[in-house]
Amino acid sequence: MNSLDPRVNRLPAIGQPGQILPKAALDQLGTFEVFVQPKDGKPFQHEGIVHAANRELAFVLAKEAFTRRFLCTSLFVADTRHVYVSPTTEGNTNAMDQLAEVINQPGTAEAYDIFVLPKRGKQHVHVGQVQAVLPQEAMWKAKQQNLHQGKVVYNVWAIRTADIRFTTEEEKDLWLTLPEKKFRDASDYKGGDKLKEFLERSKTT
Amino acid sequence: MYGGGNTFEGIKTDSVAQEDPAKLAEFEARIARGEKIEPTDWMPQLYRKQLIRMIEQHAHSEIIGALPEGTWITRAPGFRRKMALMAKVQDEVGHAQLLYSAAETLGKSREKMIEDLLSGKSKYSNIFNYPTFTWADCCFISWLVDAGAIVNQLANAKGSYGPYCRALDRICAEESFHLKYGHHCVIYLASGTAKQRQMFQDAINRWWAPMMHFFGPSDKISAHTEVLMRWKVKMATNDDMRNQFLDMYVPKIWELGFTIPDPNLKKNAETGKWAYTEPDWEEFKRVINGDGPCNKERLEVRRVAEERGKWVREALKSPKTAYVTPLA
Ligand SMILES: [Fe+2]
Ligand SMILES: [Fe+2]
Ligand SMILES: [Fe+2]
Repeated sequence: MNSLDPRVNRLPAIGQPGQILPKAALDQLGTFEVFVQPKDGKPFQHEGIVHAANRELAFVLAKEAFTRRFLCTSLFVADTRHVYVSPTTEGNTNAMDQLAEVINQPGTAEAYDIFVLPKRGKQHVHVGQVQAVLPQEAMWKAKQQNLHQGKVVYNVWAIRTADIRFTTEEEKDLWLTLPEKKFRDASDYKGGDKLKEFLERSKTT
Repeated sequence: MYGGGNTFEGIKTDSVAQEDPAKLAEFEARIARGEKIEPTDWMPQLYRKQLIRMIEQHAHSEIIGALPEGTWITRAPGFRRKMALMAKVQDEVGHAQLLYSAAETLGKSREKMIEDLLSGKSKYSNIFNYPTFTWADCCFISWLVDAGAIVNQLANAKGSYGPYCRALDRICAEESFHLKYGHHCVIYLASGTAKQRQMFQDAINRWWAPMMHFFGPSDKISAHTEVLMRWKVKMATNDDMRNQFLDMYVPKIWELGFTIPDPNLKKNAETGKWAYTEPDWEEFKRVINGDGPCNKERLEVRRVAEERGKWVREALKSPKTAYVTPLA
């Protein structure tokens, strides 16, 4: 390499320039869905995904990727494969009304967290928790318990609570450093005075 | 296509002829109503293909665009500028992550996209194939290339594909920091010594042609994009975006007492349109096809990073996780 950047010139000779081999399936990291709570008392909201080798790393990456700036009090992640998804509806059709009745399943009930899509184009928001044996049953219970408060919702997600990596109490101070990171904010770059002074100066010369 | 300059595949008139007419009509009606398309909705093959291509190019541009600025972190003047530039470069790489995820919802894996970037199959914004000789070049990117990107991203954020729009909303919120920071750097150069002023003037002289290329070929010669505009994949024509950029930033450059190396650049007061010397589209094509000053270096840096990271991925891999298509 003949670069202006000495670090590029020092790159090790590794593999064949211009050649990259397709990755084996296992060389690809897993997919995890990320949910963020911007403020205490506000519901958790789906923010996007990260790819990671496991749930713990997904949590760490999610913190970097989605909460470097702006308020955050808590976040959680879950493997995409652990999210049970209802059909998506549109117009005035409530996704809750499309659910099949699933009740009295054999087995032990566990907690499930329920999310709904309040508007197409927006993000899924957390609306509560129910006890169920199956995810389908959890969705049906969410409907019975009116977690969507009678509103039309377009999609429902259910995740077994045990499959979610939550923020622990001790970890909540992760976000206390945000006020020290003013340099990440537009408001830290006020050039107005300097500009005005410069314009005044150039007028007189 | 972080900027414009996005290349779309040639669209044949029969591209949508195989689609179910009823579903197609429903799809178009939804877009016309201003509703978003979500990953599980029915969509024409052509829509999916062009969106993957566009979002993927945008993601590559973020990750490659981090290189010409990243190289200046260690040499940025002072601790404050180093912190800010580090934060900005981190944001750009984060933008790539958000955009790759949005494209992934359409069914192409991130690893496949990276493969296609490294093999030269998929493109990225042409402007990052030029070198940053001085700190002033880096400031030109932070202020003006980001400004161009913002014009483009704000337009696209009103597009029809839900996951892309949501990613862009996040990105635009961070871009306001990039723009303010970039302008701040340039104000300091402009109001500094004669040498500092000269440095920035030289940067403008070097970067003006690539900046004009940034929004892509003139509408007169660019491929047929009506269907992409109707489907709200492309939100404004290349010339419209270029004009909007000139309108917002040429006065700000002039205000600082710098000149722009184009004698024909001026605004037509009646039409509100800017006149300029037609950019050299042959050069644009040549560079985008691999023959620019930094194409090889940019891809080689990414390829080596990928190779060097291999042992880490191997050490971490576990049969318990699996790559799957993201939900939204
Ligand atoms: Fe960006
Ligand atoms: Fe940028
Ligand atoms: Fe940026």
